[in-house]
Parts: sequence; structure tokens; C-alpha cells
Amino acid sequence: MMPIDLQTPSGVTLALLPEILVCAGAMLVLMVNAWKHHTGADSRLAGKVALASLIPAAAALAWLWAGGAEPEGRPFMVALDGFRFASLALILIATAATILLSFGYLEREGLIAPEYYSLLLFAASGMMFMAGAEDLMVLFLGLEVMSVSVYVLAGFNRGSIFSAEAALKYFLVGAFASAFLLYGIALLWGATGQTGLSGIGERLAGGELPLMGKLGLGLLLIGMGFKVAAVPFHMWAPDVYDGSPTPIAGFMATGVKAAGFLALVRILYVAVPDAASTWQPVVAALAVASMVVGNLVALSQRSLKRMLAYSSIAHAGYLLTALWPGTRLGAGAVVIYLAAYVLTTVAAFGILGVLGKGGERDVTLDSVAGLSKRHPWLAFALTVCMLSLLGFPGTFGFVGKWAILSGVVGARHILLAVILVVTSLISAGYYLPVIMAAYMRDAGAEDPLGGRRFDRAGVVTVAVAITVILVLGVLPGSVLNSAIEIAGTLVRTGGSSLVGIGR
Amino acid sequence: MTAFLASIGYNGWILHVLLALPLIGVVPLVLAPAERAKRIALAVTLVEFILSVGLWWSVETISGTLQLTSSTPWIAAWGISYAVGIDGISLMMVLLTTLLMPLCVLGSWNYIGQKERGYYAMLLTLITGVIGVFVATDLFLFYVFWEVMLIPMYFIIGIWGGKNRLYAAIKFFIFTMAGSLLMLVAILALAWSVAAKTGTLSFDYTHLLANAGAAKALAPWLFGAFALAFAIKVPIFPFHTWLPDAHVEAPTAGSVLLAAVLLKMGTYGFLRFAVPFFPSVAASPFVTNLMLVLAVVGIVYGALVAMVQPDIKKLVAYSSVSHLGFVMLGIWAATVQSVQGAIMVMIGHGLSTGALFFLVGMLYERRHTREISAYGGIAKVVPVFSLLFGIVALSSIGLPGLNGFVGEFLVLLGSFGVHPVSTGIATTGVIFAAAYLLWAMQRILFNKLDKRENEALTDLSGRELAVMLPLILGIVWLGLYPKPVLLKIQPAAFKYVESVRGGPAALDLVQRPQEPGR
Repeated sequence: MMPIDLQTPSGVTLALLPEILVCAGAMLVLMVNAWKHHTGADSRLAGKVALASLIPAAAALAWLWAGGAEPEGRPFMVALDGFRFASLALILIATAATILLSFGYLEREGLIAPEYYSLLLFAASGMMFMAGAEDLMVLFLGLEVMSVSVYVLAGFNRGSIFSAEAALKYFLVGAFASAFLLYGIALLWGATGQTGLSGIGERLAGGELPLMGKLGLGLLLIGMGFKVAAVPFHMWAPDVYDGSPTPIAGFMATGVKAAGFLALVRILYVAVPDAASTWQPVVAALAVASMVVGNLVALSQRSLKRMLAYSSIAHAGYLLTALWPGTRLGAGAVVIYLAAYVLTTVAAFGILGVLGKGGERDVTLDSVAGLSKRHPWLAFALTVCMLSLLGFPGTFGFVGKWAILSGVVGARHILLAVILVVTSLISAGYYLPVIMAAYMRDAGAEDPLGGRRFDRAGVVTVAVAITVILVLGVLPGSVLNSAIEIAGTLVRTGGSSLVGIGR
Repeated sequence: MTAFLASIGYNGWILHVLLALPLIGVVPLVLAPAERAKRIALAVTLVEFILSVGLWWSVETISGTLQLTSSTPWIAAWGISYAVGIDGISLMMVLLTTLLMPLCVLGSWNYIGQKERGYYAMLLTLITGVIGVFVATDLFLFYVFWEVMLIPMYFIIGIWGGKNRLYAAIKFFIFTMAGSLLMLVAILALAWSVAAKTGTLSFDYTHLLANAGAAKALAPWLFGAFALAFAIKVPIFPFHTWLPDAHVEAPTAGSVLLAAVLLKMGTYGFLRFAVPFFPSVAASPFVTNLMLVLAVVGIVYGALVAMVQPDIKKLVAYSSVSHLGFVMLGIWAATVQSVQGAIMVMIGHGLSTGALFFLVGMLYERRHTREISAYGGIAKVVPVFSLLFGIVALSSIGLPGLNGFVGEFLVLLGSFGVHPVSTGIATTGVIFAAAYLLWAMQRILFNKLDKRENEALTDLSGRELAVMLPLILGIVWLGLYPKPVLLKIQPAAFKYVESVRGGPAALDLVQRPQEPGR
């Protein structure tokens, strides 16, 4: 146990060490850029510096986590618990994977822009602030740091009008969402006189949520709904994913979504746990809408990138279902599903990125036809990704779905579980054709990779992700247990047995 | 034999080895050159079969309870373990699977010309999945095997299938998954209901079976979810549409396995899970009548549709719908004879329909058409083939002395006392079966030899005879002397009937065997 006094500057510095180190890394990359910003090699160098600067941040995180850092006295501004550490780890993994997958992509697209990596790191630090926020103001600041960086990243392909469209669209919708969020925070403050999550939780403990609080919470949910692309706040997502550079689309689908959900869990489980009967119907409605719309619309997509965009909307629905129960098992399910989803989506976008022949907007089912003949390992990796997204046994994705269903069924909402499995069945209708195209159709005349090779950093990233997906799919015991343990630092009720924490 | 098996500790390792061996076999298969793949697959499946034969002696089936059980925690905190066990019913299904597997490899010998390694790797993986379904005694494990088995079959149909293979493959996958996903929710809901009562979350079969009453309020829904999953797999009448597509498009070995083993997973699921878990729902008049009606409709409809098929493979596929209707009738009549008969039909249909699909495949390899009208009078050209085709077709019709008769007769005998009307209508299925198969035989084997292409047909090769011989032996043996098999499945049938009736099965003509080896 390592008590840290968050009221003192040194205490806060210690608590925020991972975030601070990531920010420092971002600035270091900027400095390097000032000298070297002309060639592809310079761009690579910036990427390597960015990657290297994640290492001290990860070390600091490991030190805090292993040391069992906890707040001395009241929690203040930033959370110090296992849930935050796990969130940070997830975000760092997503960031590292995005950097690794960007090397080959930027080179191929001819984007010499070393500040890309610095923006990635700034976005990551924003996500970390957001996911670890114990105060709504910190949450908002983190969200803005993240969003502004990602707006720029979305429009990074300056030569493409689609990229510009993506950036503008994302910016406008994002700004709109921020306004909702901010107004929600203001109203919650008005209702409770607090912006700290545990402060709000104490004020509202046991009682009914006042009207102003309900309004505030509603606006907050809308704001977060935009960020995680839940239906009906999802309209921007397909166009933005489609127009953005592929690694950035992957980063949005993983990092941004993860940060949003982790923050949402913390808000709902710490600030308003006793108002569950108020927010549960809203969350359930958003979840059902996202699962149904996301999966149905994904069926009719031609471009794989748009298909993945809609599938990520469906996955937002699954995640909303996961956090619905408001139990410790529910929080654990969010963590485990996010881990599975992040790994799988990173790999899927990585593969998608390499399949694009200069402009991956046109990657369709036809582009992967016969992939197994020319690139058997790539086809295998793609298959594993699709099965994991589908939630098929033997993959990590199934473990995630299993955890979600356990949480929902344990909390006695079987209808929601049924809707989840029925909509996943629909998703088989668009995941399976990818596998079929890769294995069962004849290859076209052109090599889908256009004669290029998958660069080494990308291969390693995808290979590691696929291995982890398969290993944890078969032996999920330890990761399930640690997810429950992590959730236990957020929700302390329910005892230690799974039966207790599920109800 | 028993002493020998005990001396090598057979009971301790056999189930695990049967599950692991095919998967281990995949490794050398994938690493070896493509032309060696089939030899390796044959070796693995033969070893698997030889090992499994010992189960006949080592599994004690008299008590009707699960034998050779073992359980290792898998995801301990979540009450999930790797738990396996076997009783009379699963014993027969496992033996049927391991017997058919080497035959399937032999039957694919020349048919599969491309991506051989992948094909045989899929076949081996499929064995693990199928055997896993039959021996899993943890519902999580059962679900995993149930789903995982889909992938190899999906690829077998989708890569090595016929013209419409993509459509058939995805239809097969989505139909099966539709049922099984709801079953997943039902498994969870059952486990959590039991956990709420007993305080332990566990997916162990025996634990859930003993406490399934805790889910009383949900029982109709849970039964519905289980029943849907199994009904699609069987397939029961309105859910059967995936079957003709999958059968026709799949390569020969795929069709054989689908018919002989995979369909039985559905009926096995009813016998093992759906009914024993929720006997009060299953025995309610509504459900019983519904199932009986669907079973009878399946029998008659399958037979009638089979009669008008121009394609031999489709004919055999629809005959499966009809035969499986008998199994469902037997299960739902729930007397000891009818259940015994149902299990006999499961075994017998596995042998005779498997054999039919092999024969159709052999014909197709020679002429590359499955149209009945393309043949005629080939008995003169290929006498051995025709003899075997005749025997198998007669066994499928249910000629006394061959295996088909035993099962269907027992089903009808056992069901007549309780549901005379349904049984009466079902009996017509036997007549229709005679009609469609004899008619098909006449058009293929007899009539005039009027197509020049058929004059050059070659008779069965040694390899093809090796495929058919074990099946023919099984067909004759089960037809003439089914007693050893009947005795092995009788206690399990008793147990099932007792679970449905909620009391001892005293109404029946047969006595429950008491002493071992009777």
C-alpha cells in the first residue's frame, strides 16, 4: 500500500506521473520535429521517439499499480485505484499499437508529417486524464485534449478531401457534444454543489436524484454518447472513420471509445450508483438502439472500413449492455470486453491498412478475395479478428461476450441478453463473408497488397494481438479474475464470490 | 479385455486422449507435404478408432449414470471446468463417430484434389468438436464444443463444396448459431438461477440437473431456448431448410458426417439436456403434442419431398428429415422402447445414411452428375456397387433383418400405446420410404441401360469396398443381433423416461436390467 496525499503538489505529481510522462514525450517529439521534418526517415524517427517515450510512462504506471497507490484521505481530482491503472494500461496499449501500425501506413501514403506522432501522444494523454478523472472538470479537460488532437489527426491526409471532410465533421459534432457535456456538468454541480465524483456520490447517496441532477446526467450521457458513437449519436462515425487515415480510424475505434467507456463507468458507478433505476433504462435504450442499428446497417456496407465503423457502433451497444447492471461484475465485464475489443480492432484496422492500395476507401470484399492463397497468414489473422469480433468461442471476443452476458443475466435482465445475442447473430452476416472471401473465393488478378510487403512493425503488432486473442480465448481464467479484482476497486459491495457481485 | 484395459489405466485417460489426439494429429499433418496429408489423417483416425473400441468394455452402462467422469477446473472462479463423462447414449455416439472418421478419410481419398492439408486438418478438428459435444459434462464446455465444431464444417462445405457452396455454408452456420446463441443465454440463466438458490455458480451438468428446479419461473423460456438450438440441429420440420443445401453442397465426407453424426447432436441434446433439465415443461401436453406433430410432419413431409427429388443426394438428404422424425417421435413418446428405438434409429441412420452418401459420392466421382435420370440399368455394369446400394437402401427402408427395422419398429411399438394416432400416421413414413428408395433404385440400378456414358462405369475399387464393408457389417449385425447394443442403451433410456415421468418407468413391457452383463 502506498498512500499518496493528493492535496499536495508532489502527491498529485506522483499520481499523475504516467500522464505527465506521456505529455513530456509528446513535447520531446515536437522538439525533434523542429530539427528534423523533411524526409520519411525523420517521420520514422519521430515515431520511434514517441514509442520510446511510452516506456517510462508504462514504467511509472507499473510502479503505481504494483505499489498499490491509493489516496490518503478523500479522493481528489484524480483517481488512484486499480480501475484507473487498468484503464491507463489499455490506453497505452492502444496507443503503442497505433504508432507501430502507422509507420508503414504513413510511408505508403507519402505523408511526411512527424507531428502526427506528437498529436497521437497528446491524444493519449487526454484519454488517460479522462479515464482516470475523479472530477468532472478533469474529465472535461482530458476529453478536450483528446478531442482536439484527434480532430487534427482525422484530417491528416491533407491531399484527400475525404480526410478534410472527416476532420470538419468530427470537429463540428465533437464541439457540439462537448457543449452538452459541459452543460451536464454544470447542472450536476448545480444539483449537488460538487464536481468531484465521490463528492457527488456522497451527496446523492441513498436519495432520489433531483430533477436538475437528472437533466445534468442526461446531458452528460448525450455528450458521452457522441464520443463513444452510440446510436442515435453515431451519425458522424462512419464518415469520419472512412475519411481518416486507417490507423487513426483504428485509434478512434479503440482509444477514444475505451476512454469514453471507462470514464462513463466511473461516472455512473461512483457518482450516481444509487440512481441506477434512473439511468439504467436510458443506458438500455441506447444499448439496444446501437446494437440493432449498428449491426443492421453494417450488413449493407460495401467498404470494409465502413463496415468496421458500423460494427464499432454495434460494439458500443455491447459495451453499454456491459455497464448496464451497475454491479461489480458489470464493471469487470466492461474492462474485459474493452480489452478484447481493443486488441481485436487494432489488429483488424492494421490488416485493413495494409490491404489498401493507396486509398483504402476502396477496400471491399473483392479486395480480400482469395487472400488465403497469396497471404495465408494475413488471411488467418483476418479470420481470427472477424471471429473474435463475432464473439466466437476460442477467441478473446467470446470471453468478453461471456462476461457481459454473465453480468446482465446475473442482474436478471434476460431480455437485454437475448437482444445482445440476436444482434450478434446478425453480425455474423457481415463478419462471415469476409472469411468466405478470403478462403472460399478465387483470387482476383491483382495482389491485394499490390506487391508490397507488410512492414515488420505492423506484422509484429498484428501477430502479437492475434496470439493474445487466441491464448486468452482458451485460457481466460487469470484475465477474468483480474478484471473482477480491478472492478472491485471501483465497486466495493457484494463480497467476494461471483454470485454476490453479480446481483 | 476388461482386465487388460484396467491394467493400462484405460478409464483414466481415454476420453482426454480421444479429444486431444485429433488436434495433436493436425500438427504433423500441416507440416508434412500435401500428398502425405491423407495418409496421416487416416493413421490418426484409425488410431482414434482403435483406442475408442475399448470403451465398449470399459464403460459400465448398467447404472445409467455418467461413467469415466473427470473434472479439472478451467476458469475456477466462474464455476467452469473441463469436465467429461460418458454413458450408454454418448458411448454409442462416440463409437459411431470414431468408426465413421477413418471411412470418411478413405472416402475423400481421390475426391479432394486441392488444399488437402487444410481439408484433413478440418476433418480432424471436427472429430474433437463432435466427440467433445458427446462427452462434455460441463455446460460451458459443451457450448464451446458445440460452436467450435461449426468452423471446420463451415470450411469443409465452403471450400470443398459444390457450386452453391458459399450460400450453403453461411446458411448452415447462421442457422446453427441462431439456436445456439439463445442456448448460451439459457445456460447462463439456468446457472445463475441455480446459483441464487445454492450459492455456488457452477456449470457442472450434475449440479445443474439436481437443482434445475430453481429456475422454475423461467423454465418454459429456458426449455424453449434449448429446444430451439437442438431442433435446428436435428432438424425438426420448419427448421430443416438448411439441411438439403448443406448436404448437397458438401463434399461426400462432409455429407456423411453431417447426416451420421452432426444431426445426432440435436437429438442427443434433447435426451441429455433439454428434457431432463425441464421435465415439467417437456412433459406438458402442449409441448408434447407440438413435438409429436412436428415429428410426424417431418416424417411424412421429408418422405414426400424425397420422393420427387431428381437429385439423388437431395433425396437422401430429405430422407434424413424423415428418419430423424422417428427419433423425435420416440423421444417424445417417452416409453422405454420408444426411447431405445430412437437411439437405435440414431445409430442405424448414421450407418445407413452414411453409407448411402458414400455410394452417391462414388457414383458422382465416376459420372459427375447426381441426376437420377442420368442413370439407369447400371446393375449390369457395376454389380458390386448395385448389390451394396441395394442392401443399404433396404436397410434405410427398414427391411427386417437389417438395422433400420429394429429402431423404427421399436419406436413405433413404444409410441403406439401412448400416442396411437401420431404413430399411425408415422407408420406411413415407412411405406413412403419404401416408395422413394425402391423407385430410385429402379431408376438408377435397373430399367434399361440406355445411356452410353453408363456403359463404361467401373465397379468399386478395393478402397471403396474398404469404406463400405464396415458399414455393411454394422448394418447386418445391428439388424440380426441388436441385443448387445440395446442392452447398453436400455438403462440410459430408463433413466430418461424416469426423468420425464418423474417416477419409475413401471408402465413398460421391459424390465430394468439389474445385474451386469445380462
